Amino acid sequence: MIASNINLEEFLPESVDVWQSEGEGRYYDRQTLYEYINGGAELYLSYGFFCSINKIYQQSGQPDIIVDIFDMGSSENAFGVFSHSRETNDKQFGQGSQYTSGLLLYWKDRFYISILASPETAESKRAVFQLASQIEKAIPHKGSIPEIVDQLPPEGLIQESIKYFKHHIWLNSYYFISDENILHITEKTEAVMAKYQKNDNKTILLLVRYPDQEKAVLAYDYFLRNFVPEMKEGLTYQIEDGSWVACKLDGSLIKVVFNASEEQNALELLGTIKQKNK
Amino acid sequence: MKKKFYTRRDFLKESSAAVAAGTLYLNMPRKLLAQELKKEKVVLIRAKDLLDDSKKVRADNIAAMLDKAVMTLYGTSEPLTAWQQIIKPQDIVGIKSNVWGYLPTPPELEKAIKHRVMEVGVAEKNISIKDRGLLSDKVFLNATALINTRPMRTHHWSGVGTLLKNYIMFVKNPSAYHGDTCADLATIWKLPLVKDKTRLNILVMITPLFHSVGPHDFNSQYTWVYNGLIVGQDPVAVDATGVRILIAKRKEYFKEDRPLNPPPKHIFLADTRHHLGTADPTKIELIKLGWQENILI
Repeated sequence: MIASNINLEEFLPESVDVWQSEGEGRYYDRQTLYEYINGGAELYLSYGFFCSINKIYQQSGQPDIIVDIFDMGSSENAFGVFSHSRETNDKQFGQGSQYTSGLLLYWKDRFYISILASPETAESKRAVFQLASQIEKAIPHKGSIPEIVDQLPPEGLIQESIKYFKHHIWLNSYYFISDENILHITEKTEAVMAKYQKNDNKTILLLVRYPDQEKAVLAYDYFLRNFVPEMKEGLTYQIEDGSWVACKLDGSLIKVVFNASEEQNALELLGTIKQKNK
Repeated sequence: MKKKFYTRRDFLKESSAAVAAGTLYLNMPRKLLAQELKKEKVVLIRAKDLLDDSKKVRADNIAAMLDKAVMTLYGTSEPLTAWQQIIKPQDIVGIKSNVWGYLPTPPELEKAIKHRVMEVGVAEKNISIKDRGLLSDKVFLNATALINTRPMRTHHWSGVGTLLKNYIMFVKNPSAYHGDTCADLATIWKLPLVKDKTRLNILVMITPLFHSVGPHDFNSQYTWVYNGLIVGQDPVAVDATGVRILIAKRKEYFKEDRPLNPPPKHIFLADTRHHLGTADPTKIELIKLGWQENILI
């Protein structure tokens, strides 16, 4: 879904429980988001941020409730930025949510919503949930999850570990791979990374889809040269810490398994990746 | 041709530069090499009773911690003689603090620093404590000495908020330094307003933030009471030491290796590319004082 000029203020009530809004919300776009959250803006910009609104609700003797609604331009980006930092897979609000110690994060359609009341009180927690519910109802549609996420094999998949991104910086989310973009990830590629539980071992699967096969071939070659130059033949290689890396180029899709405890596990995971739904 | 970047495998192969970076990027142990080089002294001091029952910093305790750290760093038995090596009475002193709402530099620490600077003989009008608005502050614009202090925390873009990053307020357009996850923040330290003026770096590790979530980065779930200060002359060495503690905490909390994301590249490059100091733990003499329980390093 392409972003349009929705009035985000319409998603926000004047009051919630006994908290009153301090007035009109503050809008930020790609140029001004830095003024609000400084360097933290780069995270949202890397996920295609379009615009956002911030509003504060106040009640004497209680923490302020700070709400931010981010229009991420597409539901894929909203899912992506939510997936970036979630630790749990709670579905209480929107299409996925997480609540920890006064902070509620969730996504719906192309919107990513953060509601913070810190330090948490019983009253503020109730109000945060009430506000989340009101905003959720005001967003009429649901969004789609990126197609590449559906290609992850379900067996052993740790659902809350799924991370979707279009910027190479997030390649190191679970496992340091490189401080450079050795897989040529850009805003035109789609990447998904997830953990798989196999006995005591957590294996990491990375899928990267490129705009065309030519770009995928170049990226695959660069990755092999810089990460596993020894992999002349075959799909696997045991690296210095004893773990196995497996990788394969399949059309415009690069598949890589990291941190497998056994070669067979790496190959099995590589072999169960679903075909694109077309 | 010299490789310009590192992969996981470079760290695992243990080339010396890779190991230095690896201790920042991975949960790698420091490499045990017999080094004859002069080491950079860094003092980590902790106090179990630093916070009162309402989690407020006890002013006397943090002042005592600062004194002990500075005396250890300079090898003196009195705080004043240590501070006399740091600051001269004629200095104009900018104390670069940090006002981030969820985790600011404690005012009790700012006061303790100011007290010692005044005790050396610096006139109060020649001391300024500030974070924002440095470029319109007469003291900072004319400063002959800087003292840099802030809490350490994870950060969505630079990996961690560090002493190195604390100087970003010395530039008019901070976002110009965001490229490659703030890789070249150390260049700010070479600007005329800053260059060679920093006399002391104090990294606040009282309740560090070890994991960032949401647009405000902060969630109290991801802080813990560590009650520490890390003090040194080399900001890179102090930051690198702080990061190792955060990485250890993340491993303890998440019960698995969880690299800082993005990696704190700016600390490593402050050493290898900009030669501002050392990030290599084998070149740092870490002196641990006070409360040792769960020290994580």
